[in-house]
Amino acid sequence: MTGAAHSKKIGLVLGALLVVTLPFWAGDQYQLHLAALIAVYWILVAGLNLVVGFTGQLSVGHVGLLSISAYTFAILGGTLGWNPYLAMVAAGGLGGLCGLLLGLPSLRLPGFYFAMATMAFAMIVNELVLANPQLTGGGIGLPGPAFPAPFDTPAGLYYLVAALAAGVTWLTWNIARRMWGRAFISIRDNPVAAQAVGVPVLRAKLSAFVFSGVTAGFAGSAFASLQSYITPDTFVFELSLFFFVCIIIGGRGSLIGPFLGVVVLTALPEMAAPLAKLGNLFYGVLLLVVVLVVPEGIGRMLELIGERIRPRVARHEAVKPDLARLTRVLAEQA
Amino acid sequence: MTTVLVTGLAIGMLYAAIALVYNVMFSTSKVLSMTTGHIAMLGGVFGAYFMQVLQIHWVLALAGSVVVGAAFGALTEVLAVRRVLQRSDEHLWLLSTLALATTVQQGVGLWWGTEPKPFPRLIPQDFSAGIADQKYWLPIGAAILIALGLDQFYRRTMYGKLFIAMSEDAFAARARGVSTDRVRLLSFVVSGVLGSFAGFAAGQLTFAFFALGHVLTLSGFIALAVGGLGSNVGALIGGAALGLLSAFASYYFGGEYQQTIAVGVLMLVLLLKPEGLLGAKNVRPV
Amino acid sequence: MKHCWVRAFKKTMMAATLMALANLGLAQTVKIGWLSSLTGPLSVAAQSQNLGVQMAVDEINKGGGILGRQIELLTRDTAGDPTKAVNFAQQLAFSDKVQFVIGPVNSGEALATTPVLARAGIPNVLIAVVDELTDPVKYPRAFRVVSTNQQWISTANDYALKTLKKKRIAVIADTTGFGAATAKTAIDMMARSQVTPVYTVLLDPNKTDVAGEMSKAREANADLVMAWTSSTGLLARLLNTRGEMGWDVPVIGHPSMTAPQVRQLLNKPENWENAFAPGYRTITYDADGKLPERTQALEDRMRAKLGGGAIDVNMWWIAMGYDTVKVIEHAVKSAGSTDPAAVQKALENTKAYPGVFATYSWGPTQRNGFPDSDMVMNAANTFKDGSFKRAPY
Repeated sequence: MTGAAHSKKIGLVLGALLVVTLPFWAGDQYQLHLAALIAVYWILVAGLNLVVGFTGQLSVGHVGLLSISAYTFAILGGTLGWNPYLAMVAAGGLGGLCGLLLGLPSLRLPGFYFAMATMAFAMIVNELVLANPQLTGGGIGLPGPAFPAPFDTPAGLYYLVAALAAGVTWLTWNIARRMWGRAFISIRDNPVAAQAVGVPVLRAKLSAFVFSGVTAGFAGSAFASLQSYITPDTFVFELSLFFFVCIIIGGRGSLIGPFLGVVVLTALPEMAAPLAKLGNLFYGVLLLVVVLVVPEGIGRMLELIGERIRPRVARHEAVKPDLARLTRVLAEQA
Repeated sequence: MTTVLVTGLAIGMLYAAIALVYNVMFSTSKVLSMTTGHIAMLGGVFGAYFMQVLQIHWVLALAGSVVVGAAFGALTEVLAVRRVLQRSDEHLWLLSTLALATTVQQGVGLWWGTEPKPFPRLIPQDFSAGIADQKYWLPIGAAILIALGLDQFYRRTMYGKLFIAMSEDAFAARARGVSTDRVRLLSFVVSGVLGSFAGFAAGQLTFAFFALGHVLTLSGFIALAVGGLGSNVGALIGGAALGLLSAFASYYFGGEYQQTIAVGVLMLVLLLKPEGLLGAKNVRPV
Repeated sequence: MKHCWVRAFKKTMMAATLMALANLGLAQTVKIGWLSSLTGPLSVAAQSQNLGVQMAVDEINKGGGILGRQIELLTRDTAGDPTKAVNFAQQLAFSDKVQFVIGPVNSGEALATTPVLARAGIPNVLIAVVDELTDPVKYPRAFRVVSTNQQWISTANDYALKTLKKKRIAVIADTTGFGAATAKTAIDMMARSQVTPVYTVLLDPNKTDVAGEMSKAREANADLVMAWTSSTGLLARLLNTRGEMGWDVPVIGHPSMTAPQVRQLLNKPENWENAFAPGYRTITYDADGKLPERTQALEDRMRAKLGGGAIDVNMWWIAMGYDTVKVIEHAVKSAGSTDPAAVQKALENTKAYPGVFATYSWGPTQRNGFPDSDMVMNAANTFKDGSFKRAPY
């Protein structure tokens, strides 16, 4: 095993250890809640990463998918009294379907147009939620059902969400590493060449969207349960931007980058809490600074730091002709 | 009925003006900035500030707002567009202009307050004028003026021709000795001027409200997309169509599905004619 | 050798004593968490409430604190975002370990934070109006200080139907969750008096023109317009349009209608006539033009903080903010400690606690402390120095 791969494995094991033991070393229930929230966001962002970071589609409407699945979970698991696990799976399925619908315009619309279309999708979902109070509770909202024991305590819910997040991460990692991941990247970088080489652009794009819809479905259910109460005010457009920004700031084409992006951007407003009124302004300025200074994302920055710490030793590859063998071959030919 | 027609047209023309501003920005930089709606917001807010708080005559206040708009346009170009374009990364200018837009909105919210504030009368007029009230005709007039002005600008001035040159082929323009950076900066300044002029004219309709930015950005974009990117006449048509449609939909069906209807129309037009009604046909690479 | 041990022992004892003293010092403050939307929707109300809260905290601290303990106020700006509100509620409850939480002011946020704080067992002083917020069983330690939405709607309805004796009512609300829900409740309440609205419409709160909707209401021969929206822009536009149309119909609505922000947006001061909204007896001038003495006293104390001249914000926000802290003081004093269960008992047994904003009474099954008798109707254009006159009755 090379040095880099070895250190990656160690890093992974350490990270897993940290995640598993978090309820013990986290300061209090608030930080546990925050960690669970990060995990929920990451479930959605991991799927969205495939759409935005790998396939290069500018989707800023995923909060609509989160909203749909959160409400589905709350209605099925709460109002209709289904088994929460079943409700979660159903929400995932519906999320996948809506992801497909969201992805369809991407086949016809160029980048910015598609971004606006997704933004409008998020707004429409909100309007539909408010216009159907008999189903969604309208402005009053719905309570989010809790999972049965042992996941009904804060630590229990954290473990459930963390396990889901780990599962989704593993799935995404495998997709990204192999054929589909390469297909996505090729579509992002040069759709024409991708098509020429035989990449099924249509299928790939839609698959990415469906996958991101399913992960959004699971994230929405977990979100509803974690927040214990959902209202339309929660699913504002700014949340979609938040997801999008996490990916761009984390760095497209990597997994660890967006994950760090989610962690940093979720924890930041909490740390800026004492700023009260100035908090949002501070957030906007920070975003601007990061975009201008580290446009390739944190992932790339980490790579650069990694290079500095452990520079890749350039192996001396000289081309040395084997003259003896050449003479022999030429002699045989003659 | 005529009331709904006139009110729809008035707000539609504000959207059309925003679409025209998008066109100006896009022509030289191929960037659609998310700060476009905020330029209009600044025009309205600063207009109200100059007139109400500093008690300046409206002509001077207009000049002041236009200067603020121009400054903001220049700031957008220098801060959010220039560095980003060098990396030719499609996502990035979306994000940088968005971050700038959020910052400006929060800043104005902190300074001006989060409640809509009044925008004073420009021309003395009784309030019982009905549909002839200036709050309807000022935005309509402003949009038409902007469109005519741009037309003359492109046709008769050197810089107008430079804009057209850059929009057709930036590399060729640079090869001919055009300083593309400076022309792009100028186009953003011009867009700032036009945007704040439109916001000022529509101030009596929208009130001086800090949160206008995002709504105008989206609506202006819908107007642009429907009318066709790059076409000024298309922008006017798109804006009028959007405004009228929203007004009539709200009148007949109530406000619950307003966004849905507006966006539904956009989707329909784009799916049938992706380049918009009067847009230049996008030649597919293969 | 022995010398080292003695020294180490002494050091440990010092450290322990210091830590004990420090802990004692920490326990000496009463920590109150304050969830406010200082930016974002309802920020004007929140900022005024903040003035009241801070004034009360300063006064109590200057007077020696509650039971000898100083109040430590932790303010968090939730910006109207329920996710932020929940995060901050959790932070206040578990990280900062506050003993009380006031707020949030936004109904959407409050619906999300109340269960969280209830689970943490922290007494919560509620200042949002949505009816579903209080529940003696689910949220035993959440006590509401402000009037409920139900009280607003029934006061307005009674005035329209019984005092003004109008039967053809047009209901105009906004498309926010709050607006839609309020319109529905108002219509249900009217139905109980066998009255159906002649025209109902929901509008986007930022819609720039309402001429079409108002003409439709007029065509339906409405003799009263009910406006259930907290958006000052929309309310001002409705009043302006009514003036432009020359339609002399009374407008009743959300208390925001009496806010000075609406006054500024009106084209003519006359447009504010014939407009009424639910208000509070304590923030209303009586027949001799006098305010109740507690309100007047608070106003005099606040005047310096508000710039010295006439007060140009609605006094009830300030008075209510002030009362939230005073109610906490009352609860702690009655309970003799900040123990949550004792505080809950103390508040449940509170009958007629004299605040500035109202005289509060709670009970074992009653968590809404604002009495119906303190509701009145105010006339919008009588706003002066923070308070109003009663609507004609």
